[in-house]
Amino acid sequence: MEKKKVVINEVLKVEDLRTYFYSYAKEAFIRSVDSVSFSIRKGEVLGIVGESGCGKSITAQSVLGLITDGPGIISGNIFLTHNGKTINLLEGLPDYVSVKTKRKAILEIAKDVTGWLKRSEILMKGIRGKVISMIFQNPKSALNPFITVGEQIAESILLHSSISAKKEAIDAAAKWLERVQIDSPSMRLYDYPFGLSGGMCQRVMIAMALSSEPALLIADEPTTGLDVTIQTKIIELLKQLKEELNLTILLITHDMSVIMQLADRIAVMYGGRIVEYGLKREIMDSSSFIRHPYTIALLNSQPTVEEIKMKERLRAIKGDVPDTITLYRGCRFYERCDLKNDRVKKKCKEAEPEMIEIGVGHYMRCYLAEG
Amino acid sequence: MKYTILWKPILKLVLREFFIAILLLLSVSILIFSILKLAPGDPLHIFINIQTQNPEEIAAIKREFGLDRSIAVQYLSWLNNLIHGNFGNSFRTGRPVFGELIKVGVNTLILTIGSMIVTLLIAIPIAVISSLRRCPFLSWGLTLFAYILSSLPVFWLGYIAIYIFTKKFNLFPFLSAGAASGFRINWIYFLLPIIVLGIGNGSISEIIRHMRAQLERVLSEDYIKAAKAKGASIWRHSFKEGILIPVTTMIAAKIPFILGGAVVVEQVFNWPGMGRLAWQAALDRDYPVIMGITIFAAVVVHLGRLSQTIVFAFVNPQTSEKGEAA
Repeated sequence: MEKKKVVINEVLKVEDLRTYFYSYAKEAFIRSVDSVSFSIRKGEVLGIVGESGCGKSITAQSVLGLITDGPGIISGNIFLTHNGKTINLLEGLPDYVSVKTKRKAILEIAKDVTGWLKRSEILMKGIRGKVISMIFQNPKSALNPFITVGEQIAESILLHSSISAKKEAIDAAAKWLERVQIDSPSMRLYDYPFGLSGGMCQRVMIAMALSSEPALLIADEPTTGLDVTIQTKIIELLKQLKEELNLTILLITHDMSVIMQLADRIAVMYGGRIVEYGLKREIMDSSSFIRHPYTIALLNSQPTVEEIKMKERLRAIKGDVPDTITLYRGCRFYERCDLKNDRVKKKCKEAEPEMIEIGVGHYMRCYLAEG
Repeated sequence: MKYTILWKPILKLVLREFFIAILLLLSVSILIFSILKLAPGDPLHIFINIQTQNPEEIAAIKREFGLDRSIAVQYLSWLNNLIHGNFGNSFRTGRPVFGELIKVGVNTLILTIGSMIVTLLIAIPIAVISSLRRCPFLSWGLTLFAYILSSLPVFWLGYIAIYIFTKKFNLFPFLSAGAASGFRINWIYFLLPIIVLGIGNGSISEIIRHMRAQLERVLSEDYIKAAKAKGASIWRHSFKEGILIPVTTMIAAKIPFILGGAVVVEQVFNWPGMGRLAWQAALDRDYPVIMGITIFAAVVVHLGRLSQTIVFAFVNPQTSEKGEAA
């Protein structure tokens, strides 16, 4: 395998990540994440945005090796740089298992998944929770309902820091609760998650994730399942903590407003592929007239204050997310695209556009961008 | 680590269970008493078949044991005695029922608790292995093995075990020999019947099914994924909901079946326990003994339920907080 040079300040570099699930019913692969590449620099927030079912969460979970539903394929390279050392989280794991949709072949993948998971566990040990932490959507169900929040944070501290005395860990947990702006933290320590509100639970999750001082924080829809006012507060908190601790965040969301507030760089995902990738100021800059039709549609579906006042209808993107089982010859967004014109229509149908660089570090997968 | 245990709701739960227990015991005793009286057969034959058929004497014996009164009066007088701590005397031996129960109850307790442990030792590992779905063939094989085990009828299993281990290979002594010489506590006597009841009580497959379903559900919970993401042991996080609660539920639910199985096993192995006493008492229509055993069994079954409630309250802070509603 050829060695690729990784730029020093990149915390995470994902190359050609594919996460496929095998469907017994359809006898085909569900290509949830299909050849995705991106990188995150230190202190940067990369926002992955897209509709539900675009493969955003699967991407994040693949990075942490949390995908355990076999059979399927996870392949590519995930380079993680921490303390000057770079490791590939998919190093030495078998890449591709070709399947000819016959029963025998299916069993071969299933068997391979078992071995794969074992090796992945070994690779991920010492990385999960320590180098990469994750916060989840629906914080109330992501905290163990049978253990007090103090003990859950303390567990993370005991696992990943030099503190080995339980009492010290509890004290440290109280400090972290204070950092995420929870009132009277020394009392909240002894609460069970069911006694806390959703927003409080998310703060606890954030405290738990940050207590090990990770190099990368993965925030998987951190505001989903929370009230709108609480959402704003959680975003504010993440913003503040990012400044204080110089956090590197992989932010996954379907909410454009969250992206607008937090992200430095954006990857727009559609049907398991990244269709547009670049700095936020490049993509969102009003003077920039080249954007992917899907990004434009996403931005348009976000109502402005005036529109709400005028009681206009929401501009939803027509149609549904394409299923990721069918192999498309052309562009995956073709059916729903409003901007396709006679010049490109034929090309759009015939072959999927390649990622092309249209600005400095601004990539797009669309024929419209070609001259 | 300081746990915030909410004692007051737990006490409330225990009190509530206590009242349920009293109601339960009342209804069970009325039911069993009525069934006994309605069933054919008469305790008098124990006394009478060796004596004369003189009607006057029969009437005198009936009066002596209070059998000439109506069912309701007999029940109330039995209940009155029970409230005063008197279980009555056995018709057959004339000794107090309570003393007899304690004497054989200990043996039965050893048998049932031991066999429960055997059952759990077989069921829990199989449930855990098959819930992981890591090795489909192993878990499939183990589950099949467990289903075959729990389909074996206990009386058959008992005789086969005696034939193989005692008669053919002479590994275990005949229990009756020990019983005849006053039954000294010796583990070798216990082992075979305990294993036979542990396998033959028929609960292994059900425990596996319940535990596997619960464990699979818990392992797919968000909080287990989150625990994995923070590098913690998923077993530590799934223990309470995935193992402790289902095991407690199953123990409480299976006590009656194991007591029922004990009757057969005690018969097969000549084990001087409550099951054999119950069998003998049923043959003799020894009403006080039957009633005593019924009450004893009902109390044991209910204690299982009570301990389940208490474990739940301790494990799940939410149930203890909502104690009244649960």
